[in-house]
Amino acid sequence: MYYNNKRLALSIFWVVLGIVLLALSVADVLDSSMYAGMGGALIVVGIFQILRNLRYRKSTDYREKIDTEAGDERNRFLRMKSWAWTGYIVVLVQCIASVVAMVLGKSEIQQVLLCSVALIVGVYWIAYMILARKY
Amino acid sequence: MKNRIEEIRNEKGIRQEELAKQMGVSRQTISSLENGRYNPSILLAHKIAQFFEMTIEEVFLFEEE
Repeated sequence: MYYNNKRLALSIFWVVLGIVLLALSVADVLDSSMYAGMGGALIVVGIFQILRNLRYRKSTDYREKIDTEAGDERNRFLRMKSWAWTGYIVVLVQCIASVVAMVLGKSEIQQVLLCSVALIVGVYWIAYMILARKY
Repeated sequence: MKNRIEEIRNEKGIRQEELAKQMGVSRQTISSLENGRYNPSILLAHKIAQFFEMTIEEVFLFEEE
C-alpha cells in the first residue's frame, strides 16, 4: 500500500507549512520573496499529493497501477541507478568547478566546493560501511 | 542473459500486460526482460518460471560472458 495515512499526514503538513511560509512572507515577517515562492510550491505539491492519495483510496485500478509502479523491481533498480549517476555527476561537476574557481582566484568558492566533495565522499563511506554490515 | 520469455509467452498466447499483472511488475519490465536489456532478480526469475510451469534454466539461458 503506497499511499497510506502517514503519506496523507505528510502532505497535509506540507500544505500547512506552505500556508505559514506564505502568510509570514506576505506579512513581511520573513524578509525574502524566496519564502513566498517556497510556500506556494509546498502548497501546490501538498495538494497534488493529497489528491493522488484520495484517488488512490477510491479507484482500484489507480491503486493497482501505483502499487505496481512502486513495487516494480526494474523501477527500484532505475531509481537506485539514477541516484548513483546523480552522485557521480554532482561530484564531477563540483571538482571541475573547484578547478575553475582556483584558476579564477576564487579561493572561498573553491574551499566550499572541495568541502562539499569531501562531505559527499564521507557520507558515501559511512553509508557503505553501514550497508556492508547489513548485507 | 538471454531468455525465452517472449517465445514461451507467445506459445501460450499470453499478452505482456497479463504476464506483468501476474508477476506484479510493469509491462515495461516484461518488455525489457524480453529484449535482454534488464536481468531479473532471482525472485522474479523464479516467479516467471513457476508461472510457465518450467524450471529457471528452461526459461533463462545462463551464459558466461
